[in-house]
Amino acid sequence: MNTAHIRAIGLLLLSVQLLNSTQEAAEEKLVPLEIELPKPMFIGTPQNLRVPNLEKPLGKPRPPFLAPMGTVNLALGRAVTSSDDFPVIGELEMVTDGDKEAPDGSFVELGPFLQQVTIDLGQPCELFAVVVWHYHMQPLVYFDVIIQIATDSTFVNNPVTIYNNDLDNSAALGMGTDNHYVETSEGRLVDAQGTIGRYVRLYSNGNTSNDLNHYIEVEIYGRPVE
Amino acid sequence: MSKSDHEEIQGQNNLPPIDRRKFFRYSAAIVGGLVLGSKTLASARKTAPRTDALNVALLGTGAQGQVLLNSCLKIDGIRITAVCDIWAAYNRRRVSRLLQKYHHEHGVYEDYREMLAEERDLDAVIIATPDFWHAEQTVASLEAGLAVYCEKEMSNTLAGARKMVQAARRTGRLLQIGHQRRSNPRYIHCYEKLIHDAGIFGRFTTVNGQWNRSVQPDLGWPKKATIDSAVLKKYGYDDMHQFRNWRWFKGMGGGPVVDLGSHQIDIYNWFLEARPVSVTAVGGTDYYDPKTHEWYDNVQALYEYSTRNGTVRAFYQVITTNRNGGYFETFMGDMGTLYISEAAGRCSIYREDQAPLWDQWVNKGYLQTPVETAAPTGAVLDVRETLAPPAYSLPFEMNDPYHKPHLENFFDAIRGNAALNCTAEIGYETAVTVLKANQAVAEERKVLFRSTDFKI
Repeated sequence: MNTAHIRAIGLLLLSVQLLNSTQEAAEEKLVPLEIELPKPMFIGTPQNLRVPNLEKPLGKPRPPFLAPMGTVNLALGRAVTSSDDFPVIGELEMVTDGDKEAPDGSFVELGPFLQQVTIDLGQPCELFAVVVWHYHMQPLVYFDVIIQIATDSTFVNNPVTIYNNDLDNSAALGMGTDNHYVETSEGRLVDAQGTIGRYVRLYSNGNTSNDLNHYIEVEIYGRPVE
Repeated sequence: MSKSDHEEIQGQNNLPPIDRRKFFRYSAAIVGGLVLGSKTLASARKTAPRTDALNVALLGTGAQGQVLLNSCLKIDGIRITAVCDIWAAYNRRRVSRLLQKYHHEHGVYEDYREMLAEERDLDAVIIATPDFWHAEQTVASLEAGLAVYCEKEMSNTLAGARKMVQAARRTGRLLQIGHQRRSNPRYIHCYEKLIHDAGIFGRFTTVNGQWNRSVQPDLGWPKKATIDSAVLKKYGYDDMHQFRNWRWFKGMGGGPVVDLGSHQIDIYNWFLEARPVSVTAVGGTDYYDPKTHEWYDNVQALYEYSTRNGTVRAFYQVITTNRNGGYFETFMGDMGTLYISEAAGRCSIYREDQAPLWDQWVNKGYLQTPVETAAPTGAVLDVRETLAPPAYSLPFEMNDPYHKPHLENFFDAIRGNAALNCTAEIGYETAVTVLKANQAVAEERKVLFRSTDFKI
């Protein structure tokens, strides 16, 4: 049995597991996810927002997101690594420190152009939602927002992409069809659809104000795989 | 984001190598550098227009300094070679590390005097410190032989602003004031083409403008980045709260009507080609705590202009408790209306029914024909209200960061390729116009302008 066979079997098992877990989730009682939101805070003059495929603001609170009872934020306090290990300001720990407020001292600013942060959940988990607050002190739009879930830290073995708004494949991770959106204090909730994984990676590629990348907080809702 | 955007930005790193002895020199106290007098220093600077990369210092690394820096990083041939700020543990560190990402070797300073003494290769200084520092820092930089881009308001006092104009004249150095709309191609087009050439608005009679903002909390700071109280005192601040929220304090800034209104009232003067003859204003600190918000949190001002075409009354409002309508300026003439905002998506131009048709201006490329929208099925004419006229628009967009064209104009002027779009004299006229609104509120009366008020 060669490596390809092993990988194929692994994939099959993972798919079966995913299918089973998805079916189980569907049969389970779903409850609204309780996400504590930070204070809204827009300060300063927003820069020009001329962005293709920009989602129209909802103008009202996001509808409740339903997840199986017992779903929790697994990212809180988890280790974070990044393509930029020398942030412009702040520390990587801020991504998962539970502080979702916008002011100085609450966010990490990563260098220009395409950067990523990766959160290690410590064990394989069944994931239902990822919520990301890049920066909500100004109405910014971030480019090439790509969120992937993987079972390996290298993201080589079939990572699952749950969000991708890279319309021109400039990040070279595949062309995305998801919308650009304006950052708000609600953060962006992405449905992880019960994907199994241990690592969650979030990319971005600058924003409408500058070339830098910011993270105030990332929450990953799910439960450990037993 | 397209790759071409990045390639264009990264391309700016193709700068000539820096003949410098430093990389991140964290300087100590002021030493021998200041012994060198400003005249000596000025003569040591280059006087001929530069054609190669310009060495630029950023003095003030707060929010506005960072906005200007991010625009500078997108302009070819600009090397940020020094940064100066007293907040070493946060904003200065942030800017310094950002410059490392873009491979700009630079010196780092707390005291601008030390920076001017040490940095012998500078061509220009961008000043984005609190308003009450502008006059002293600008005068010193000009006397050191440098061109200066100073953020508005050029000073929190007219005495300070006057010194800046006098220093620019005395030294012969360039001083650009940061009213960035003066370099915005949309505003320039409106002034030069629509108002001046075509005269499509007829006689202006009324102007209306506003900047409405939502309630905002005071600015905080990471506690571990608190500045030592001795350093704060040295630079004029009582405490960290005042340092972070200086705009609200008398003696430091001018409050919202100056911070926000200054940009827009400057456009009143520009587009009307006049200076006001009076201002009546009301306002107060009605919502926030006056102990920490000494300046008025709302102002409603009415200026009167005596233009060559007749009297124009110009209303301006700034509020900080509600964002309704955002920010815009509306110029109303007997032939048409210009509704414009720095926000690129907001510009509408309306023709009065009795005005000559604008087809020729559309054909000349001055205007874009209104986009016809189908009337909703079953619509009825509501005779209680005037029908909204078709909205013409500008024939182009401006998608650059707002401050980039103004900085480019400044750098082009240093190289001898352009005239400044907002000279010290223009900035001074605007400072007189705006600061008098605060005076009118304080004295609860109509304040008259004399023509000599605008002269130095």
